[in-house]
Amino acid sequence: MVVQATTGSGHLVGQRSIKTILLEIFGPLLQVLMFVLGSATILSLIVILFAFVLRGSRTDIDLLQGTLIILPQVIIDGMVRGFLFATIALGYTMVYGVLEFINFAHGEIFMVGAFVGAGFGLSLAQQRMLADFPPLLFVVLAILLGMIVSGVLAMLTERIAYRPLRNAPRLVPLISAIGMSLFLQDLVRMIALATGMGFNVRFQTPPLGGSLPLGQIPIGGDRFASFSIDSRALIFIVAAIIMLIGLNYLINVTRLGKAIRAVAQDRATASLMGINVNRIIALTFLIGGALGGAAGVLFGIRVGTINPYVGFLPGLKAFTAAVLGGIGNITGAMVGGIVLGFLEAFVASYLSLFTRGQFAGANYADIAAFSILILILIFRPSGLLGEATTQKV
Amino acid sequence: MALLELTNVHTYYGQIHALKGISLTVDQGEIVTLIGSNGAGKSTTLRTISGLLTPRQGQVTLAGRRIDRVPPHTIVNLGISQSPEGRRIFPRLTVLENLEMGAYIHSTHSPEFRADLDRVMTLFPRLRERVKQKGGTLSGGEQQMLAIGRALMARPKVLLLDEPSMGLAPVIVEQIFDIIKDINQQGTTILLVEQNALMALAIAHRGYVLQSGKIVLEDTAASLQSNEMVQKAYLGLD
Ligand SMILES: Nc1ncnc2c1ncn2[C@@H]1O[C@H](COP(=O)(O)OP(=O)(O)OP(=O)(O)O)[C@@H](O)[C@H]1O
Ligand SMILES: [Mg+2]
Repeated sequence: MVVQATTGSGHLVGQRSIKTILLEIFGPLLQVLMFVLGSATILSLIVILFAFVLRGSRTDIDLLQGTLIILPQVIIDGMVRGFLFATIALGYTMVYGVLEFINFAHGEIFMVGAFVGAGFGLSLAQQRMLADFPPLLFVVLAILLGMIVSGVLAMLTERIAYRPLRNAPRLVPLISAIGMSLFLQDLVRMIALATGMGFNVRFQTPPLGGSLPLGQIPIGGDRFASFSIDSRALIFIVAAIIMLIGLNYLINVTRLGKAIRAVAQDRATASLMGINVNRIIALTFLIGGALGGAAGVLFGIRVGTINPYVGFLPGLKAFTAAVLGGIGNITGAMVGGIVLGFLEAFVASYLSLFTRGQFAGANYADIAAFSILILILIFRPSGLLGEATTQKV
Repeated sequence: MALLELTNVHTYYGQIHALKGISLTVDQGEIVTLIGSNGAGKSTTLRTISGLLTPRQGQVTLAGRRIDRVPPHTIVNLGISQSPEGRRIFPRLTVLENLEMGAYIHSTHSPEFRADLDRVMTLFPRLRERVKQKGGTLSGGEQQMLAIGRALMARPKVLLLDEPSMGLAPVIVEQIFDIIKDINQQGTTILLVEQNALMALAIAHRGYVLQSGKIVLEDTAASLQSNEMVQKAYLGLD
């Protein structure tokens, strides 16, 4: 992978060492990691501070202890949500990068991935092979199937519903995307009902194991709270990280990735380089769709039951994440997903704790997510990572 | 037979009739220049040749093969590259990545790619020091060098240059024109669009004068230089 040219005087030109390439792959990931640590730390400090302040007002429970006991679980939950939003957000941001267009059907591409995984589990169950299927192999195969189907589907939607409208006024493809979103919801519903899967589909998997104990934290006095990670959450996080590494490699190092960036920066000029712009756009949909499909499978495994409308909310939140990170910016989508995921997890858990359950958190998490969208649009339209123009694809 | 030939080409932007029957030829090994004032249709002509615009009437041929319905990326493969108006460097790709995009139709793992890279770096030594710099942070002159270098990376038979002197200091303009001449002498046929008619005619073999989408004059560069109308309108001489 080393590209170099030597001149008469023997100087190396344009050398790309392994080191540069590794930097190109892991640099953005490091940034993501920093946001993971940063979000977790800051939000933890905030809730601990709140717990301190509010401690006097409560006699029923020790608020500080209660806060600390659930903290590790909340952080893990934040990571899972964060990587979920990040993987979906990449699909929005990549498509926006090359077309300046929000693919509102992307949530449904994600949902289809979940159904493909569930269908795979179901068909194994029907053949009585599921219980003995190697769990890791199951996860890998389900993800691959979800990626293929969702990727191809995303590519088809572009070909059928967006490409013919490429030169139409900007609102027209947007409407088409919303139509595509509704169409896919109902199509999947129809197929699910017709094939006897039902409306609410259980995502069956081989036994994936229980929780892995991680450690203990002191919660005051000589008491300790032990915490663990659910194996499904672990699968989610590991798979998402592998995909993000793969995507960074693809975008920053390969010829295809450079062509995608070139098309995103200047479509007409990219075509003057001999780049087939239509093909690159199709491949962008393929890649974004495949990531969305994989996220769908992982989501299905984690939540256990899915229906044809599960793509809507995660899709909208992932879109929020993409805007949060600066739409069009790939690292930004990952970072935005992480930050939003953590915020949601903390709001969902602690709002209820601090208000004696008056605000049962899960619903308020959505309010938090969309308040963020509105705040960003008002105060920082170019996203967390600053000028989208300097960091875009 | 001419290497590149336009016959009665009409190109429109929607209702706007930008090229009104352009016919011109570029022979193997020539530098041909296209001069004319703002809005005459020079860039439109190059865009039509590159396939970014499709003529409504007339035809474009490369070595006898019709290319006026061929998409731009295929035209690059057939041997025509363009350094477009305004340079159009990919701002967030590095200099090296921009050059790699120029060589998109070739493998970047081949020895030829290294040779091409070396040739561009030798023509434009400034680019050598800036391989890792982002294209958008280069100076105007450096961007122009990169745009020409990038177009060369495709190893074109015909190189289309749209106003390579635009916005550059006189010293740099001279350098660029010297290099254009070198590139031609190394075997690349060139169609050069210029506002700077004086410099363009100095290095070109032949030239065309374009006015409101029509060719009003064509001749050898030497005759155009001494043509009274050209002197008045484009060379600033009285
Ligand atoms: N995208 C466009 N849409 C509509 N009209 C256009 C477009 N581009 C160019 N034109 C019109 O076509 C005519 C020719 O433009 P062109 O860019 O080819 O001129 P030019 O000779 O290159 O001028 P300059 O020296 O200023 O670059 C002009 O009248 C211009 O207004
Ligand atoms: Mg022009």
